[in-house]
Amino acid sequence: MTEYWCGSIDDGGVLVPCVGSAVELLARVESLKTNMQTFRPLTADLIEGSGIFPDRAEYLRRLREVTILQVQGVIEAAASGKDAELLQMVRMLDQMDEVINLLSERLVEWYQVTNPAFSQKGRQGSVKRVLPKIKRSRSRPLRGMADELEGLIAARTSLAADVSRLAAQVIPNTSELVGGLVAARVMARAGGLEKLARMPGSSVQVIGAEAALFSHIRGNSPSPKHGIIFQHRRVHNAPREIRGRVARVLAAKLAIAARIDFYRGEADPGFLSSAQALIDGVTGRGTE
Amino acid sequence: MIRIDGQIVSPGAGGVYNERMVKGYRVWDPYRSKLAALCMLDESVDLTADMKVLYLGAANGTTVSHVADYVNVVYAVEFAPRPLRDLLVVAEKRKNVVPIAGDATRPDRYAPFLEEVDLLYQDVAQPDQAGILIKHLPFLKQGAGIDGGMAAILMLKTRSVDIRRTPEEVFAETIERLTGAGLSILNTCWLEPYHHDHAAIVCGVGER
Repeated sequence: MTEYWCGSIDDGGVLVPCVGSAVELLARVESLKTNMQTFRPLTADLIEGSGIFPDRAEYLRRLREVTILQVQGVIEAAASGKDAELLQMVRMLDQMDEVINLLSERLVEWYQVTNPAFSQKGRQGSVKRVLPKIKRSRSRPLRGMADELEGLIAARTSLAADVSRLAAQVIPNTSELVGGLVAARVMARAGGLEKLARMPGSSVQVIGAEAALFSHIRGNSPSPKHGIIFQHRRVHNAPREIRGRVARVLAAKLAIAARIDFYRGEADPGFLSSAQALIDGVTGRGTE
Repeated sequence: MIRIDGQIVSPGAGGVYNERMVKGYRVWDPYRSKLAALCMLDESVDLTADMKVLYLGAANGTTVSHVADYVNVVYAVEFAPRPLRDLLVVAEKRKNVVPIAGDATRPDRYAPFLEEVDLLYQDVAQPDQAGILIKHLPFLKQGAGIDGGMAAILMLKTRSVDIRRTPEEVFAETIERLTGAGLSILNTCWLEPYHHDHAAIVCGVGER
């Protein structure tokens, strides 16, 4: 017996209709288990012979009712995930960083024109240190832009705090291991919490190091030891020789944490304390 | 295929994605659509009004909208939620587009919605592109493509299969898998200059 959206074929080879609203028909299709080894698709003859639909236009109209409902359901489910907003926030944050960097470079260059004596040598680091000076510039348009950039930096700071806060709620276990920001970035780069939860630890370890990874696969370079998780202090503060080891252990635990976050959605103190102890153990063991 | 001044066009209401119009027809840009590129390079590829098409990897529905202008019905399968939103908008305007949310590596999940089709169009850029097409062979109408006619088109994005191997190697292996599954190769072409590292493989059905 083969099942279709609008009915099923009985032993006599006749299409027996299945009545119901579009919602009911969709629920039925979603409960079906189709065996592709024996499956034969509907044919025009079967559809016509069943007499369920007066004509082809009506067949398509009814079928579309059901499939459009199915598509809408998938779209809604994707947008309703708790991680959907966090994902957008992280991407916004990372793009703001890019924009702020670009704009501050331009601003400093502009300032150099109005004040030829100015040099950034010896003032390495944040624009924030140069900004007050630029705001006292003689050029009014330049001062205006400096104000705007300052506003942008403030907005970025508050967004970063919001990301951390939301991450602690949505992905509590991963946030606890590497901090909300890094956890959210890893999650965003993976393409969502579900994708991250289905990823092996070895993939989590090199998320964000795709260029290095593919270069390695092509055979030109050593394998990357860490991607985004390098931003976590236990990785970047570790001595070079054991950084790879720390990253590997941390990534393995992150993969587990992501699964707890996705399938259970709440912090697991038992898992967290044992994971933290293990990671700190690797860090503390040093290079001996 | 309808051609005006060397451009491929399709009949239908415009304004799907700001496409240009020529003499009331929608211009089908080969630089945007791989199928249009194939039609530019291979004049034998044709879509007819009685065709039923199973389109895998429908994406935003731009190419789908042109195909729908030519054929009887397009079953448009797409996996990712974001392009599905655009596909839904296309399907609202075109009553012969049946949008389906589904993973093309799991045809069993949406098989009950489908009927026999005359043409399989596979444009899902996944590692196992040939395998995805082969899994959908049961949906081909009995007899389709046997007498030298076209039954399936695979748009092979060689970079998605395996970056360790050259496009030519990936291409050769794909051809082998398709013929091994009972398909015959009618024509193949690289989609230069419209798309890089993409090959189109037009298949019929060989001796079963």
